[in-house]
Amino acid sequence: MITGTAITKTFKQRGNVLGKREVPALRGVDFAIPKGGAVSFIGESGCGKTTLGRIIAGLETYDSGEIVIDGTPMSSLTHRNRQPYYRRIQLIHQDPYSALNPTRTIHQTLEAPLRLRARQTGRSKSWVDVRAEELLDLVGIDPGYVLPRYPHQLSGGMRQRVVIARALTMDPEMLVADEAVSMIDVSLRLGILGLLRDLRERLGVSVLFITHDIATARYVGDEGELYVIYRGQVVERGPTETIIADPVHPYTQSLLSAIPVLHGLERPGAEQVVPTEALDEAQTDEGCLFSRRCPFSTSRCESERPVLGHDGGESGEATVQLHACFHPRRRSVIPQGVGA
Amino acid sequence: MTRDSAAPEVRIRDLTVVYKTPAGELPAVSGVSLTLNPGTITGVVGESGSGKSTLALSLLNAVQPPGRIAAGSVEIDGLGDVLHLGGEDLRRTRGRKVGYVFQAAQSSLNPLKTIGKQLLDLGRSHDVDDLRALVADAKALLARMGLDGARVLDSHQHELSGGMRQRVGIMLALVLNAQVVVLDEPTTALDMITQATILRIIREVHEERALTTLVITHDVGAVAEVADDLAVMYGGRVVEHGPITEVLGTPRHPYTQGLIRAIPRLSGDISLARALPGRPPTLGTLPVAGCVFRERCDKRMEICETVEPETVTHDGRTVACHAVGRPAPVKRREYA
Repeated sequence: MITGTAITKTFKQRGNVLGKREVPALRGVDFAIPKGGAVSFIGESGCGKTTLGRIIAGLETYDSGEIVIDGTPMSSLTHRNRQPYYRRIQLIHQDPYSALNPTRTIHQTLEAPLRLRARQTGRSKSWVDVRAEELLDLVGIDPGYVLPRYPHQLSGGMRQRVVIARALTMDPEMLVADEAVSMIDVSLRLGILGLLRDLRERLGVSVLFITHDIATARYVGDEGELYVIYRGQVVERGPTETIIADPVHPYTQSLLSAIPVLHGLERPGAEQVVPTEALDEAQTDEGCLFSRRCPFSTSRCESERPVLGHDGGESGEATVQLHACFHPRRRSVIPQGVGA
Repeated sequence: MTRDSAAPEVRIRDLTVVYKTPAGELPAVSGVSLTLNPGTITGVVGESGSGKSTLALSLLNAVQPPGRIAAGSVEIDGLGDVLHLGGEDLRRTRGRKVGYVFQAAQSSLNPLKTIGKQLLDLGRSHDVDDLRALVADAKALLARMGLDGARVLDSHQHELSGGMRQRVGIMLALVLNAQVVVLDEPTTALDMITQATILRIIREVHEERALTTLVITHDVGAVAEVADDLAVMYGGRVVEHGPITEVLGTPRHPYTQGLIRAIPRLSGDISLARALPGRPPTLGTLPVAGCVFRERCDKRMEICETVEPETVTHDGRTVACHAVGRPAPVKRREYA
């Protein structure tokens, strides 16, 4: 179980004569990832989803806020003492082509972390080779074929499976998958997503799935939770299926409206939300961050910032849908299947 | 500015493109026949190594060594066989008659020159007399796509966002009034909302200018939104081709069926989505005889091992598969 409270992060860019430019990447984000759960962060590039994933994996610092792993606040520990906690969280990179060392065979790639793990857990050296084969079996590739080979001899799908196997050498309790399938051929993507789902079901590993493709988030964990992030703020959050079928925030609705309709198989949703074009000049930090692009924006939205919460009417439900919008309204935007 | 009112038809016939490798010449595209109907958008989907980009380059007769167009013809109305053009004629054709929007527009623009300077270079290299009119046309096109033309022409490519660069690419392909436009992965690396905007622009500009458009992509969703016809490529062949709603609604080739099943959707039972077993072939692993898809096919028969399936056209739809076979009118009586 890992929770975060009010995480903020601002990147400082070297600016012009007028001084440094500050880019807020995260503006006070709360999250909770349960053991064995599936949580997805959705948003466009630059929204802060990757930064948040890296913070959770311990690869990036944050300016303020608190992260608690299994009941231990990270701020109470020294950098050194945090390491055993971050061992439990492993990152799967987006690009399987650059994530593996090209001068090492897959055997060498898996051997190094497994030796470390054997030392940590007091196992013998012979365990290393056995475990390497076990892990490759687990991710669905033939150890006999893959172990002696170099990364360039493997296809993209195989490489991504090796990257996942390497992440599993540390016996993680959570995998952070950042756009893990965007570089993989369409017909093979589902195989990798299915593997992540299997690992969650069989090993109880929780999965944090970071993506811009909402439909894939649904495949990894349809009973999981979805966070929609816009410019460093969570604007809508709730059970994955609810957020997709019944979004109330106009930004979530814009994202879902933008997903192509498979004509012949689907018909478009009844309502479509099309945001006005985002121009950099139009982005101000006043009021609702989405107000300049929002077709439903009012004067209140331009002066006041809504916070994540839920409508009075729906409180009391076990799983709630939270949103940061003054004018939430359900709109049916996603394509529906034809016939059947 | 005179423009032919009718969009041209493009007929690709028995096109074979080979690449020279240490293992000899291997076909990236083999015996492809495809007709782009005038005034339509045809989407070509395929995975990496399916030959889709090579096919697109053939439309400009621009396959680079070690590649070589070994056989076939590409006829465009009003131009003849593009594969017989060479030298100056070919150079003039590119841009004036056939516009090409490259994949990753950020790497096809010159980082040292403003967009406006690149536009003038384009005009001069095509002997445009009235450069002022060209700039005016460019501004109008950019405005049509929702951009501030004057500002964009004064910008360098790094000052533009991915979606803006993609629109600049479309402007440069169209500003000389090309009537055949090829877009290679027009939405890859774009955010979802930007992707939707670009797709809408492609559709609208296509209709307003009476173009014949070819969209190459790996993303079925991206073409489903804009295309009239869909061609599915696998291992250098077009395995299925037809009107897009029919191909998506009732796919006939096992590969098309598998590809559509592999797309996670937003509604319906997500557990019905299935990955295709195996992996796409590369130049080196393509089987020499028989069906190229048989290794991954669940309808595989004995004949698939040895005989390459013929392309059969029926009801305006083209399929190359032994399991689909020829139309059998006798079977229909069962439902009568």
